[in-house]
Amino acid sequence: MDKKTILDNGLLEQYLLGELNAQECEQIEQVLAFDTELKAQFDAIEKDFETLGLENAIEPPKGIKYQLIQDIREAKDTKNNRSNTNLKYYLGIAASVAALLMLGNFWMYNELNEVKDQLQTVETEKTELNDKLNKQIDNDIALFSTIAHPDTEQYVLKGNTLMPDGKVVSYVNHSTKSVVINTERLPKLDAEHDYQMWADVEGEMINMGVIAKDQNLMAMNYIDHAESLNITIEPAGGNDHPTVSQLVTNVYLN
Amino acid sequence: MQNDNFLIQQLKDKDELALSLLYDKYAGAIYSVIVKMVRDEGKAQNLLQDTFMTVWDKAESYDASKGRFYTWIFRIARNKTLNFLRKVEPLIQTDDFSVYDSKEEAISIDARYLELNGAITTLEQHHKEAIELVYFKGLTHKEAHQQMNVPLGTFKSYVRQALKQLRKAYTKSLSVLLLILNAL
Repeated sequence: MDKKTILDNGLLEQYLLGELNAQECEQIEQVLAFDTELKAQFDAIEKDFETLGLENAIEPPKGIKYQLIQDIREAKDTKNNRSNTNLKYYLGIAASVAALLMLGNFWMYNELNEVKDQLQTVETEKTELNDKLNKQIDNDIALFSTIAHPDTEQYVLKGNTLMPDGKVVSYVNHSTKSVVINTERLPKLDAEHDYQMWADVEGEMINMGVIAKDQNLMAMNYIDHAESLNITIEPAGGNDHPTVSQLVTNVYLN
Repeated sequence: MQNDNFLIQQLKDKDELALSLLYDKYAGAIYSVIVKMVRDEGKAQNLLQDTFMTVWDKAESYDASKGRFYTWIFRIARNKTLNFLRKVEPLIQTDDFSVYDSKEEAISIDARYLELNGAITTLEQHHKEAIELVYFKGLTHKEAHQQMNVPLGTFKSYVRQALKQLRKAYTKSLSVLLLILNAL
């Protein structure tokens, strides 16, 4: 499109009035951008049209401008409110997530501590159990080594009329100075009484120890020069002197 | 114009005062065009408000290098009004492209809103009518020449001649103004 076409066809006026389509507008604008003379002509027509418009102005009611400003403020407020609401919404979500994470962390921290405590307890229990087992094993080994010793002699204490079905097997070793007894066949006693073992040395009963209720095999105190082994029923925890009337079994040593 | 540039920049920065001042300057001229096109004061007022709302919203897209601010608003107002007329009264558009004639009697509007003032009133009748059709009634050149029942080329020369006359009148009034200013 050239200047002549534009002028001959009155395209400047049509362009100004907004009659042309987008493509035509673009073509006119391209020519105007480079042709200062044509641009000057266009400026003059614009000015004329503007003057014509202003000369014919009709004052609109005052309320329109007021309403316009009101609408603009309302639109602005709505926009702000919406973004505020959105912001509040997102902040709310973020706060909730943070709170949940905190709760979760707190819970996990508690769990962790609990698990740590439990682990500690298990460790302690394990150590205690180990010690106990080791002690038990040591104990058993000691007992069995006594029993298995070639110098050990076996004496069976058969129950008398007070304990017709009961018996205790004892293993005495004078070289290692040890006594082990098997109490499997001792009748059970009530909680207030215990069996106690005594060694008779020249007519005097020497305490060899109280027989434990929860062990089938146990070591007793070895007493030098013992002539016989005796078992009496005594008050729980044992007695200083044997209650002779409660003697349930005895055996003479060789 | 310098003043306008500043206000337009302020408008682009969403300054309500700038909009208010530009409205004061141009709303009357725009309202006149709209009311003559739509011939209904209430509708014209809505369209005027709508136009300036668009001016506010789209101020950023106004490019001063492509034309005057008034021209930009004028085009917005004209498009809005034509769209409105096409939408609400599609049946009124008749074969002769006249959007209004068949409804002329039905519309009640203060007659002075349709009157023209200033230099245009001094033009010859056909020049005046040519400008009135394309500028104040929103017809395209193609519609207007049929309305006036003259060939398109003739119609275009009417417009050109009319503008020439108007320019002469405006230059004269400007000279008078300058003379008065000088005298003072």
